[in-house]
Amino acid sequence: MQVFGPNELQEDVLKKGLCVGCGACVGLCPYFKTYKGKTAMLFPCTLTQGRCHAFCPKTEVDLEELAQRYWGKSYEGTPLGEHQEIVRARAGDRMGPGPYQAGGTVSALLAQAFKSGLVEAAVLTDRQELVPVPRLARSLEEAARCASSKYMAAPTLAAYNQALAEGLSRVGVVGTPCQVTALAQMRANPLQRDDFRDAAAMVIGLFCTWALDTRGLIRLLADRLDTGRIKKMDLPPPPSEIMVLETEDGRVEVPLSEIRPLVPAGCHICPDMTSEWADLSVGVVEGQPDWNTLIVRTRRGRDLVEQAKADGMLVTEPMPADNLANLNLAAGNKKKRAWARTREDGLLNSDGEGRRSAIRVPVRVVESIDS
Amino acid sequence: MSIIVEGQKGQRYLLMGNEAIARGALEAGVSVAAGYPGTPSSEIIENLSKVSKQRPIYVEWSANEKVSMEVAAAASFAGLRALCVMKQNGVNVGSDFLLHLALSGTRGGMVMVPCDDPGALSSINEGESRQFARLLEVPLLEPGDFQEVKDMIKWAFDLSEEIGNMVFVRSVTRLSHASGNVLFGELPEGRARAFFKHDGFILDPKEGIMSPAPVEMKHAFQHQKLKTAVERFETSPFNTYTGPERPELIVVTSSACNLYSREAIQLLGVEDRVGLLKLGTTWPLPPKLIEKHLRMTDRFLVVEEVIPFTEENLKILAQELGPQVGHKTIMGKRDGHLPMVGELNPDLVVNALAQVLGMEYKPAPEAYTKRGQELIFFGAPNRELTFCPGCPHRASFWSIRSVLEMDNRQGFVCGDIGCYTMAILPTGFSTLKTLHAMGSGTGVASGFGKLKPFGLDQPVLSVCGDSTFFHAALPALVNAVHNQSDITMVVLDNSGTAMTGFQPHPGLTVDAMGGEVPAVSIEAVCRSLGAQVRTSDPFDLQTTQTTLMDLIDEPGVKVLILRQICGLSPEKKMKKKFDVAVNPEVCLGESCGCGRLCTRIFRCPGLIWDKARGKAKVDEVICAGCGVCASICPAGAIEKVEFKEVA
Repeated sequence: MQVFGPNELQEDVLKKGLCVGCGACVGLCPYFKTYKGKTAMLFPCTLTQGRCHAFCPKTEVDLEELAQRYWGKSYEGTPLGEHQEIVRARAGDRMGPGPYQAGGTVSALLAQAFKSGLVEAAVLTDRQELVPVPRLARSLEEAARCASSKYMAAPTLAAYNQALAEGLSRVGVVGTPCQVTALAQMRANPLQRDDFRDAAAMVIGLFCTWALDTRGLIRLLADRLDTGRIKKMDLPPPPSEIMVLETEDGRVEVPLSEIRPLVPAGCHICPDMTSEWADLSVGVVEGQPDWNTLIVRTRRGRDLVEQAKADGMLVTEPMPADNLANLNLAAGNKKKRAWARTREDGLLNSDGEGRRSAIRVPVRVVESIDS
Repeated sequence: MSIIVEGQKGQRYLLMGNEAIARGALEAGVSVAAGYPGTPSSEIIENLSKVSKQRPIYVEWSANEKVSMEVAAAASFAGLRALCVMKQNGVNVGSDFLLHLALSGTRGGMVMVPCDDPGALSSINEGESRQFARLLEVPLLEPGDFQEVKDMIKWAFDLSEEIGNMVFVRSVTRLSHASGNVLFGELPEGRARAFFKHDGFILDPKEGIMSPAPVEMKHAFQHQKLKTAVERFETSPFNTYTGPERPELIVVTSSACNLYSREAIQLLGVEDRVGLLKLGTTWPLPPKLIEKHLRMTDRFLVVEEVIPFTEENLKILAQELGPQVGHKTIMGKRDGHLPMVGELNPDLVVNALAQVLGMEYKPAPEAYTKRGQELIFFGAPNRELTFCPGCPHRASFWSIRSVLEMDNRQGFVCGDIGCYTMAILPTGFSTLKTLHAMGSGTGVASGFGKLKPFGLDQPVLSVCGDSTFFHAALPALVNAVHNQSDITMVVLDNSGTAMTGFQPHPGLTVDAMGGEVPAVSIEAVCRSLGAQVRTSDPFDLQTTQTTLMDLIDEPGVKVLILRQICGLSPEKKMKKKFDVAVNPEVCLGESCGCGRLCTRIFRCPGLIWDKARGKAKVDEVICAGCGVCASICPAGAIEKVEFKEVA
């Protein structure tokens, strides 16, 4: 991994429009701030190496290094990343009636983590009106208010930086693949700082094909409905080609063809659909709106799932083979598209004097693009 | 007590040029003086203000230069002597009125004193007001020393009254702001009586209506007036020649360049070879006087600032007089002997003169010059222009820049003239992206704010000061409201015309003579125009930023008034609100990671970097105690406590 400073970050990510506003660089210094889904550098900074650059999921992400560190093995570029088990899951009977997004698995896992004392706070995505904002929730009740998908780039990780600054040490994090990738880099202490602490006690990753530009989506929705009356947003899995908005005035559908132009450029170079660097990853299941797909990746992730099941907070069942195949295909396709785009843009394994990459992967993985 | 009133007739006093102008106006019996502040002209009205209780005179800081000309003209129409002063570009502001005034003519003597700023020492232009005399076809005088500064004002009033039109007396920074000895004349007694006659024959200049129409006829009158002026110029005491009867070369000069030219001739020791024709009446040039001097030699060097104004006029006359006087070589700026831009100085003039005379001259030994350059380059600290400690503008631009960067749509700020002009520089975080005339920020913004249909979706902001608001930003704001432009206008209200020395303006409760007057509320004006108006204290960074964030997202015209009195204002000067100090235990110094945000970016002169300790420090002598830096330190190391006077 090559670590540069804020000026390279500005050049390679912000100016190229690759920033997805994950919030990893926000709250570390006075320079990077987030507003309405976008991150900005307010004033010039002189550091030649900075955490802002080291944490960013859109520049110099060395997947081999991450794989070695978190998986103890080489990065192979498999569609779903390293995992122990894939099941379908939903909130158990001990959980309240919701409402949840899909099966309520994330809410159930968080509830278990809070109740068991595994976490003392959770880094989540709340919203102010329609704008997603980071939230450091100190209780289950506070966390429950953040439930529901936002589908917009959110600076969630600013709340993780806040948690560290406040000295918290057991923090749950729920994030999208870009956020989980950034968090994986944050947890690796790339600048070898003495004051480093890994406070992420449980990382729950979300499935994500792409997010949407916050301002763009709000503008689009404001043209069609009263955004103050939106209760829930949903992107039903393929082959559905719509975004569904449940409002106090009824259901509104927006064709995906109108929404796709709002996908930030940074999403097009993302090879990760299932948050591969999380402890647990959660998504929807095609054709089963009341269930989630749950990927168990780590030992501590498995422990939390088992506890939740034992306590009646979570129910799991084997994943139907068809769904698993479709998930593999979708995740594999996202990877292929990302490798192709990154390579086309000269951002994959770009070596040589002054050359910087968005992503670094082993050569054999790159070769697999062409096969 | 002011020397310009207390000084005795027949005595000599050391006066600043602007004081001499004021004294000259008093000796001429001026009744009304109006102007708008602008360096280098401001002290003229200020000095007259100071004596407005002792002398029968009305003094006014007008809302802008055009209004000041109209105010002065009214006095003239009523038979009073009126003085109008402005900086060079102030003439532009009122030139529309002047073009009509030149035709309608004046009654009581009306003298216009534009103070030009060659080299733009306190301006962002090098505009030449002399051009206006030619454009408007009115007489132009240029004093060549401090005595002339005073005497010429009185002479100009007499001339104006004789011809029934305004007369320009042009000063420059080096006359207005330098000082010299002035022999005082008498101050007249009594208060002049004003009456406006308007019921006489329509073409009667003394009793008819004051109007440029019928234009052709009035224009013909105006040319008659100019002819009379030229006749007076032929014998004017302000045109002088010194030097041999048959010189090799005549230096033709005016204004402050007279002093440089005299010095250059002395330095070269060529008094017996070179003559000096110092012109005080520079437009129209008196042809007989010029012919006389054209006959004395064949070569002329014109020394003037800034444009080759006299050079060109002289060339026209030389061409016309060619059959009588023969071919003449007239050198100056057009052939490159002297620069077309910037101020002149004795070195530049002596070099030009030496070149023309074929002499070797070095103003300083080469080694000395080289050493000087080295010392400046390597030794002198970089001292760029900066806002004062405690300046509200620093806080305002900190917030504006932060908001625009955070907003992330490449929004920008259109600016204009005031201390806040410096926000094009790092001291204002390089926030201004356009910079033009008074009020132009809002006008330009109004135009940008209509470009949405062409794809421009960047937030458009303008800034203007409180004085500028009344001066020229108002019509631009009206324009933006009426045409439904999407802009956010930030009024940087520091409660005074701060840059020029705290002259009052229509937003304040005091007038030029110290009287109590009603203030015009910026909020009320903007609201009544239909703009959305918010007010914030720029020292409260958080509130200011949140407010501005919201405003720039709204459509239409929004006005944010950032009100905080200037740190140098008489009300605030020497009064600290907070005692501010850096807690060295908390300041992380070089290891903070902020990269010295306080002294590298915020850069208030009151904050210094303690090199020995590698930490920030407050220079308590310089710190004005505004406390803003306490809000910007990421480590919270800058601490402020309410200032308590030590008994």
